[in-house]
Amino acid sequence: MPARSPTDALRGSLDLLVLKTLSLEPMHGWGISQRVQQISGGVLEMNQGSLYPALQRLEKQGLITSAWGMTGNNREARYYRLTAAGRRGLAHEMESWRRFAAGLETVLRTT
Amino acid sequence: MSWLHGARTRLRLLFGRRAAESRMEREFGFHIDMETERLIREAGLDPHEARRRALVAFGGREQHREELRAGRGLAWLGGLSLDFRLGFRMLVKYPGLTVIGGLAMAFGIWVGAVTFELATLVSHPRLRLPGGDRIVLLRNWDLAAGRAEPGALGDFLGWRDALTSVTDLGAYRDLTENLTSADGDVRPVAVAEITTSAFRIAPTPPLLGRALVPADMEPGAPPVVVLGYDIWRTRFGSDPHAVGKTARLGGTYPTVVGVMPKGFGFPVSHELWTPLHPERYDRAPGEGPAITIFGRLAPGVTLERARAELGILGQRAARDHPATHEHLQPQIGRYAYQFYEPTLAERAGMLAVHGFAILLIVLVCSNVALLLFARAATRESELAVRSALGASRGRIILQLFTEALVLGGVAAALGLAAAGFALERWGGEFLRVNTGRLPFWFNPSLSPETVLYAAGLAVLGAVISGVVPALKVTRGLGARLRQGTAGAGLRFGGVWTAVIVTQVAVTVAFPAIVFVEQRELVRIRSTDAGFPADEYVAAQLEADVPADSGAARVQATRFGGALEELRRRVAAEPGVAGVTFVDRLPRMGHPEPRIEIEGDSAVREAAVASIDPDYFDVLDAPILAGRAFSGGDLQRDARTVIVDQGFVDQVLAGRSAVGRRIRFAPEPSVDGGGAEAPRPWYEIVGVVKELGMRSATERGRAAGLYLPAAPGSADETWMIVHGRGDPMPLGPRVRALASAVDPMLRVADVARLDRVTDPILWAIGLWIRLTVMLTAIALLLSLAGIYAVLSFTVARRTREIGVRVALGASRRRVVTAIFRRPLIQVGLGVGAGTVLIAIGTIAASGWAPDRGIDLSKTGMSAGQAALLLAYALLMLGVCLLACIVPTRRALGVEPTEALRME
Repeated sequence: MPARSPTDALRGSLDLLVLKTLSLEPMHGWGISQRVQQISGGVLEMNQGSLYPALQRLEKQGLITSAWGMTGNNREARYYRLTAAGRRGLAHEMESWRRFAAGLETVLRTT
Repeated sequence: MSWLHGARTRLRLLFGRRAAESRMEREFGFHIDMETERLIREAGLDPHEARRRALVAFGGREQHREELRAGRGLAWLGGLSLDFRLGFRMLVKYPGLTVIGGLAMAFGIWVGAVTFELATLVSHPRLRLPGGDRIVLLRNWDLAAGRAEPGALGDFLGWRDALTSVTDLGAYRDLTENLTSADGDVRPVAVAEITTSAFRIAPTPPLLGRALVPADMEPGAPPVVVLGYDIWRTRFGSDPHAVGKTARLGGTYPTVVGVMPKGFGFPVSHELWTPLHPERYDRAPGEGPAITIFGRLAPGVTLERARAELGILGQRAARDHPATHEHLQPQIGRYAYQFYEPTLAERAGMLAVHGFAILLIVLVCSNVALLLFARAATRESELAVRSALGASRGRIILQLFTEALVLGGVAAALGLAAAGFALERWGGEFLRVNTGRLPFWFNPSLSPETVLYAAGLAVLGAVISGVVPALKVTRGLGARLRQGTAGAGLRFGGVWTAVIVTQVAVTVAFPAIVFVEQRELVRIRSTDAGFPADEYVAAQLEADVPADSGAARVQATRFGGALEELRRRVAAEPGVAGVTFVDRLPRMGHPEPRIEIEGDSAVREAAVASIDPDYFDVLDAPILAGRAFSGGDLQRDARTVIVDQGFVDQVLAGRSAVGRRIRFAPEPSVDGGGAEAPRPWYEIVGVVKELGMRSATERGRAAGLYLPAAPGSADETWMIVHGRGDPMPLGPRVRALASAVDPMLRVADVARLDRVTDPILWAIGLWIRLTVMLTAIALLLSLAGIYAVLSFTVARRTREIGVRVALGASRRRVVTAIFRRPLIQVGLGVGAGTVLIAIGTIAASGWAPDRGIDLSKTGMSAGQAALLLAYALLMLGVCLLACIVPTRRALGVEPTEALRME
């Protein structure tokens, strides 16, 4: 297997952000995209639409689940929520991300 | 439980494709609406601009959709309907290929479906009755005689009372009786004298009136009859008021109580039903009428349990009545297998037939594959672009397979329609010619199994004609794309060459078969019977032969007397020139026993007919030497025979015949036991011209031997009537007179003497049509194949041809370069076909190293052999016709054009 390509890293970070966002409360797709952009302060520029394949992927992995519900102004939307496995997965992902970032930090400091 | 959750999601995604698509659209719509509203609210944009920006921020919607579909793992499914649409578009876009490939596949499927249907009819007969597989046949097997004991009336009555595992136990007696129409027309019909439980086993509601009911079987009940559909239609003129009328059946006058619907023939192929009255017959074992016993397995009872119960009854009967039942073993089996239980070898034969049909499909489809390959090769750039856009190799193969499947589907529909038509039209007739009387469940029409089988053949065909070329064309597609040499990397390999060569060989060889068949047809039609056969009509006469030998003697005397009376009355009819009797009609097969000639040790075979003394007189056949038969020759000790000219020439080698003595040789004993005593000598008293003593299908002259016989004394009886003018109107008169003379006298068949060979001619004609069709298909496929390959080659070599022309190559050289390959292929094919014909000819001529080839035995003259050769050359020319269009295209190549293509 080749090393993780930048896209894979990006995809991984997107997954992490989505899971982190959903750990606070269940949310629909547009809400997630708003929150991700807010949190990252616009650093993560992406097509908003590419969020949906990520959501589908996470749902297939059983990390999140979805259901249709009503928004505050009475519109039909699909809400995503974290499953128990998702919660565990988030902890695991955060842990490994921190290790990765720390490792990177070390490398940057020593050179 | 995340795996469970994931699996559930996957399943939901898999089966909810349409719903998933709509959910996806709703979700996208919601997102864009929300973003638009945010931009209006926060950035103060006008709604139009806000929506535009929201759409831009969302990104390529189609791309996201595809990604989601791919995520569902169903992208191929989404593309499949597109493939089907593309497949149909291809059918329209390449009509030539559609017609040729479709027709060829349809033909293969047609052959497969018809053979499958006919073979399963025989190997797995199914009663088309409710619960038909639970209907059983019971019989008493005579272990000593090795046959079923037909006189089982007593046992039937005992079983009916005792058996619990079989319900509705019934029996029928198979009869043929004369039915007289209102207009006086008399014809024998197949009657079932049957217990009324039959109409519970086969509960088909009558068309008119009622079926037989138990009251009809009561002793002293008035005689009644139920009519079959065909009898009602032809003999009662479809009379809606037939019920209540009186019919004349043999010597009885039963009342018609009902008419059964079309297709009803239970128990076998019966046309009339009368109630069975067991009390009227002797019930002692081995006595009484021959009956067949049937019933239905009781609910929940297996065949094995019924067999066990019947076995116990059989043991009890053997213990209680050892004299009559010790050697009898009751048996039970499935009803539909009573007529034909294929042996292991026959099952293997049927498998071989299926194998042939599948082989045919494979052959045809490898041809279609050739055409599709040529098409795929011309579409290579399209495929390359698809591949560049991310279509996997599997995806492209699936596309080409789907296209072939569409073609196969259309072909299957066509082939099945044709098979249905052929089965309806000729299937029944074909089985009748081959097997005689046809049980009612032998109803050749498309069964669901056959449709399924044809669908399987279509898929197999699509795999061969779609996947094989696809594999070939997609191999190294990417590499060729990079090099920009689309098409150049493809080659038609040895397989395609073999296919074309085989095909051309078939095209050349098959017409030779048609030619031989056609000659046979003409030969049979034109063989001189030795007398003006169209002036004679023959009627086959029958009477029941009782099982009891004493009764049989009485019956034989009555039959002989009735025939003499009939002869007297027919001869008195206007327009009748003569009446005589024989046991086999001219040009039918005759028995050919071995004979010995006095003073000659050799044993030879001669065709024997038993004739009425008037026979030669009525047939206007002159006696060439000696005398004709007279009444005195019928005496038991007269022992005289007459031989024909063929006998004199072949058996006696031209020596004078009259006065010589012959005798029938003892049959070679099978067990090597004591030789049979020599048979008595017969004196040859006359010589007559040859009068068709051999079956029409056999070649060569027969050695004919005539024995004098009183009418009705041989195993078969034909009455020959010589008419003045057209003899056919005499047929109905003979029928009417026969029933007037004696109700038990039956006319089984009436035929003009020149029509005796009609069934054979019909069968040969069917074969000719089949062979012609096969040849036409092979020819069409060859032409299309050659055309496709050559077009492809020219297209691929356009640049090369351009360069050659630019460098000053003559047109002749260019043509030679192109023509070389198809010429070799066609030449090889024609050569192989000619070799096939030669092998066939040599085999048919009875070749032996010491005798050489005798063309006369094949029925082929040197001129005709030359004709075949000319045909082979013609084929060569026709095949090369397919080269004209591509060659013209090649010659039209402008060097500048060709070079600019790079």
